[in-house]
Amino acid sequence: MKFTIYQESRQGKRNNNEDRIAYCYSRDALLMVVADGMGGHYYGEIAAQIAVQCLSDAFQHEAKPMLADPFLFLQRSMTNAHHAILDFASDHNLKDSPRTTCVACIVQDNVAYWAHAGDSRLYLFRDGRVISQTRDHSRVRLLVEQGVITEAQVANHPERNKVYSCLGGIHAPEIEFSRKTPLEGGDVLLLATDGFWGTLPPDMLAVSLKQTNLLQAVPMLMNQAESRGGPYCDNVSVVAVRWEDSYVQLAQSSVSTQTMALDEVTTKLDEFGRNPAYKMDLSDDEIEKAIQEIRSTIDKYSPKK
Amino acid sequence: MAQQANHALPAGFQIDEYRIERQLSLGGFSIVYLALDGEGKRVAIKEYLPNSLALRGEGEITPTISAEHAGAFRYGMKCFFEEGRALAKLSHPNVVRVLNFFRANETVYMVMDYEEGATLQEYIQRRQKPVSENFVRNVFTRVLNGLREVHTHKLLHLDLKPSNIYLRDDGTPMLIDFGAARQTLALDTPMLKPMYTPGFASPEHYQRENLGPWSDIYSIGASMYACIALAAPQAADLRQDKDQTVPAMVRWEGKYSDQLLETIDWCLCLNHLYRPQSVFALQKALTEAPSKPAAKPKVEETRSWLGALVGKFKKNDTP
Repeated sequence: MKFTIYQESRQGKRNNNEDRIAYCYSRDALLMVVADGMGGHYYGEIAAQIAVQCLSDAFQHEAKPMLADPFLFLQRSMTNAHHAILDFASDHNLKDSPRTTCVACIVQDNVAYWAHAGDSRLYLFRDGRVISQTRDHSRVRLLVEQGVITEAQVANHPERNKVYSCLGGIHAPEIEFSRKTPLEGGDVLLLATDGFWGTLPPDMLAVSLKQTNLLQAVPMLMNQAESRGGPYCDNVSVVAVRWEDSYVQLAQSSVSTQTMALDEVTTKLDEFGRNPAYKMDLSDDEIEKAIQEIRSTIDKYSPKK
Repeated sequence: MAQQANHALPAGFQIDEYRIERQLSLGGFSIVYLALDGEGKRVAIKEYLPNSLALRGEGEITPTISAEHAGAFRYGMKCFFEEGRALAKLSHPNVVRVLNFFRANETVYMVMDYEEGATLQEYIQRRQKPVSENFVRNVFTRVLNGLREVHTHKLLHLDLKPSNIYLRDDGTPMLIDFGAARQTLALDTPMLKPMYTPGFASPEHYQRENLGPWSDIYSIGASMYACIALAAPQAADLRQDKDQTVPAMVRWEGKYSDQLLETIDWCLCLNHLYRPQSVFALQKALTEAPSKPAAKPKVEETRSWLGALVGKFKKNDTP
């Protein structure tokens, strides 16, 4: 598998970031998750954290190196996440359980499988066009489909944030599954919360992600989402991957899983409670270790001393 | 954000086993000092101090790093370690040697060999007239010896320019400042701005794609060009838009051997595939015996470079 992946979550203008994102990959499978903890409910960010953690943990256990059945995996781990959130609520005697949306995608054997509950979206872009996207589990989406309101009215509709399916709610989540979707080289899969997709039309995303370096293009789009979000900008979170043909020469930024061990899984998930911007990349011990290492190299290669 | 310049450590300041003599240079990421070690030998000490992330006011020793920048500061430190690791492995007469590495004042320091001399940049500025063919060949063949060693260790220098080529008093060159070598490792991390010098950076530097030995070779070509022109060639991004750089072959035909001028133009190809692909290939070209500059009638001097080019084609036509 070869791909370029980028993920980032920003707080926007809110007091805290209730979005959580993660990706993991083994030699033959890739998982991406985006969860948007719901404001208005207590501990939205905890629900979101539980969701991404549940899926990543399950992936680390089961992807060795492939998942036996990706859809079954998504169904089971998302349901488990739902129950884990309910357990958390009862353990802590919460009156109302925390809730989160969740969209997750698996890619293996060049085929993508995804599932979602709520209004966090997945887009599949190919050649600058939208090939596929998830349908939001929101009231406004239903109203549009029933012809009650138009697409243009959605942006300002008072109920635009209401979702009818989520993890952690009273009712079991309604999880919607995609089809098995074969990927072509250059396809971009993008998972995002409403803070991102709410201000950027899909066609524009498709065009701006066509044949660009995701590592540069996605942060730029996020800047745009933030500026369009204005003074009350919601949390903005994205995981995006560009699928590469396995035979093309590797760009410097892309990941190749070819040399990974069969039972190895790489996970990118920020630890709970720490803003990634504050995250120390190096601990004091690591600094000491690095210095020791350099000194011993100097001694080894230096003819003097 | 306004960039404030950091204050250097005062002369006479004792740090680890070294005593600071004076500041040698001040860059965006670091300050370099001349210092004496315990035995009284002169060394250069590079202090990691990115001025956008850490601030040292006048008379202070320990820089102030705001909580907001702590993460980025540590991240940059990682890059500084990469530079140290890279250099520690290299032991070559044409590459600056690292002697020690230590931690103090909340930041880190790299101790390097100090030798009497001046950078190629200073040399050219002082001289104020084009250098000779032999000078170019001698200096750059040796620079390439060092660069070959760098590339052998799977590193790219990425910031080659006359001010990063140091000429010892005996005339032998040495590559210094591997601060940009980080980019091979952290190309995708937009936390610290990429470092490159317009005029010497290759087109790949701007696109951040396809960087390779050929990118350093572009910078070598630009440095050779600058030694003769006494100014840097047009920046690569502008050249891609509208190339106004007069090819060396056109600009100095007759003054230097065709073979040298062609080699310079070869290095300065905008398409990286057309350049020498390895240092070895370029070295071979530089060590080839130069053909004597063709004796030419005086009238050619007054012609425009286009005319000279046409003339050259005509000349080639006649058997």
